[in-house]
Amino acid sequence: MSEPLVLGIETSCDETGVALVRGRELLFDAVASSMDEHARFGGIIPEIASRAHLEAMVPTIRRALAEADVDLAEVDAVAVTAGPGLQGPLTIGASAAKALSVALGKPLYGVNHVIGHAAVDELVHGAFPERAMALVVSGGHSSLLLVDDIATSVTELGSTLDDAAGEAFDKVGRLLGLPYPGGPHIDRLAREGDPTAIRFPRALTLPKDQAEHAYDFSFSGLKTAVARWVEARRDAGEEIPLHDVAASFAAAVADVLTAKTIRACELHGVDTLVVGGGFSANSQLRDMAAERCAEAGITLRIPPIRYCTDNGAMIAALGSALVRADVAPSSLDIPVDSSMPLTLTHV
Amino acid sequence: MTATTTTTFDLPDAAATRAWGTALAGLLRAGDLVVLTGDLGAGKTTLTQGIGAGLDVRGQVASPTFVIARVHPPLHDGPALVHVDAYRLGSLDDVDALDLDTSLEDSVTIVEWGEGLVEGLADDRLEVTLARPRGDFDENDDASAGVRHVRVRAVGERWSGVVLPRPHVG
Repeated sequence: MSEPLVLGIETSCDETGVALVRGRELLFDAVASSMDEHARFGGIIPEIASRAHLEAMVPTIRRALAEADVDLAEVDAVAVTAGPGLQGPLTIGASAAKALSVALGKPLYGVNHVIGHAAVDELVHGAFPERAMALVVSGGHSSLLLVDDIATSVTELGSTLDDAAGEAFDKVGRLLGLPYPGGPHIDRLAREGDPTAIRFPRALTLPKDQAEHAYDFSFSGLKTAVARWVEARRDAGEEIPLHDVAASFAAAVADVLTAKTIRACELHGVDTLVVGGGFSANSQLRDMAAERCAEAGITLRIPPIRYCTDNGAMIAALGSALVRADVAPSSLDIPVDSSMPLTLTHV
Repeated sequence: MTATTTTTFDLPDAAATRAWGTALAGLLRAGDLVVLTGDLGAGKTTLTQGIGAGLDVRGQVASPTFVIARVHPPLHDGPALVHVDAYRLGSLDDVDALDLDTSLEDSVTIVEWGEGLVEGLADDRLEVTLARPRGDFDENDDASAGVRHVRVRAVGERWSGVVLPRPHVG
C-alpha cells in the first residue's frame, strides 16, 4: 500500500491551519490567521477567534486541496487538534473534521497539539531516530518530551510549573512598555544588549531541585525579578537600559531551557534534539541550543519558523504517524479538551 | 446596597500563599467567583494552584494568560475549576465571550487581572488583592520570596457571615 494521505486541521488558537501530508511528505500547508481582527480589540477574544475559524474553515480546506492538487475523495484519514487550546476554536476544528470523516467514510484522529509541534519536524528533516528528545516551547507551552515513537511512545519529562517561555517574554515586554506581543521586540533589543549585564535567576537549577523538578521549568520568578529590578530603577528616576535588561532576561530563559534539555539528552542517551513551537523562533534560544548541542555532540533539528508556529502540517504529520503505526482511530464523539494532558498523543 | 466585608492579613511566602488557597478551596462551591488582583509576580497563579489542589482538579494549574481560560475538570465529586486570565482581554461584558464548555454555575471561577472587568458577572464574589515587595532585591535572594499583603473583599449575601480561613503560621 502507498503512504497514507492525511488531511490535518489545526484550530487551537488564532490560526486556522489545513494541510495535506502523504507519509512524511508535505503536499501543502494553508494557514489563515485572525490576528488582525484581534489587534483591533487590543487582545484575543475567544469568541472572535471562534467566528474567524468558522469563516476561514471551508475556504482554507478548499485552498489546501487545490494547491496540493488532490481530491477530497483521495484522503485516507482526517486528523484534528483535540487539545490543548481554546475551547471554542478547538470545537470548530473538531466539528469540521468529524463532518469530513463522516462524509468521506474515513477515520478520524483527534491529536495532541503539543506533540504535533514535535511531529512536524519529520516533514522537514525526515523520520526521527529510535529515540529523540523534543523541546516544545511557545506562548502557551514549555515541555520536554522523550520521544521513543512519535505515534505510540512519548513521555513528558517536564513542563513549566507556571508561565510558558513565550508568555514570560510577552509579560516582560509589557512591563518594559513594548507593543504586544512583546517576544519579538525583546529578541530584537536583546541582540544589541549585554547578556551578562544583570544576573537574573535561573529557577529550578540548583541541586536541591533535581529530585523533583530536574526537567520542569519555572519562569514566574524570573519575570518577578525583572519587574522588581525595573521598578527599583524607575523609583530612583533612572533610565532603564532596555537592551541590557532584554539581553540578560533572554539569556536566563535560553540558559535554563538548553541546560535542562541537554542534561536530559545526556542522561537518557539521546543524540537528537528537536525544538518546536512558536518560541523556537527566538534567536537567543536558537543560538544557545546550537552552541551547546555542538559541544555535546547532539544533532539539533529545528524546523523553519513557519512550521514552528501553529499550522495544519503538524497535525497532519502526527495523524500520518498514527495511521502508519496502525493506531485505532478516534470515535466520532470525542470531546475537545482545553487542558489535554501530554500523557495522551491522541484521544 | 450590597453587603461587603474586608479582611487583611499577611502571607509570609509562596508556600503560605498556596496553603491559604487550599484552605479557601474548602469554602468554595459551584457558582463561586474569585477575582484576583496584583502586579506581575504578586502570587495570583500561586494562590490559584493552592485552590486547585484543594478542589482536587485535573492538570497542572499554570498561568492561563496565553489560552485566556483553562478548565480543570474535577478528579472526584465537586466543581470544576475555571481559571481565567483577563490580562489580554479588552472587555468582558459577558462570560459567554470566553466560549467555555462549562457553565459558571457548575464551576468555581477564578479570574486573574479581572478587576474592573468581571464584577458584573456575579453579585456575590471574593475580591482578593495581593501585594508583593516592591523594588530591588539582593542578587542571592529569590525575587519571588517575601511577604504578600493580602486584602480580601467579600461581596454579597453568599459571603455574609462566612469566616475566611486564617493564614497558617509556622
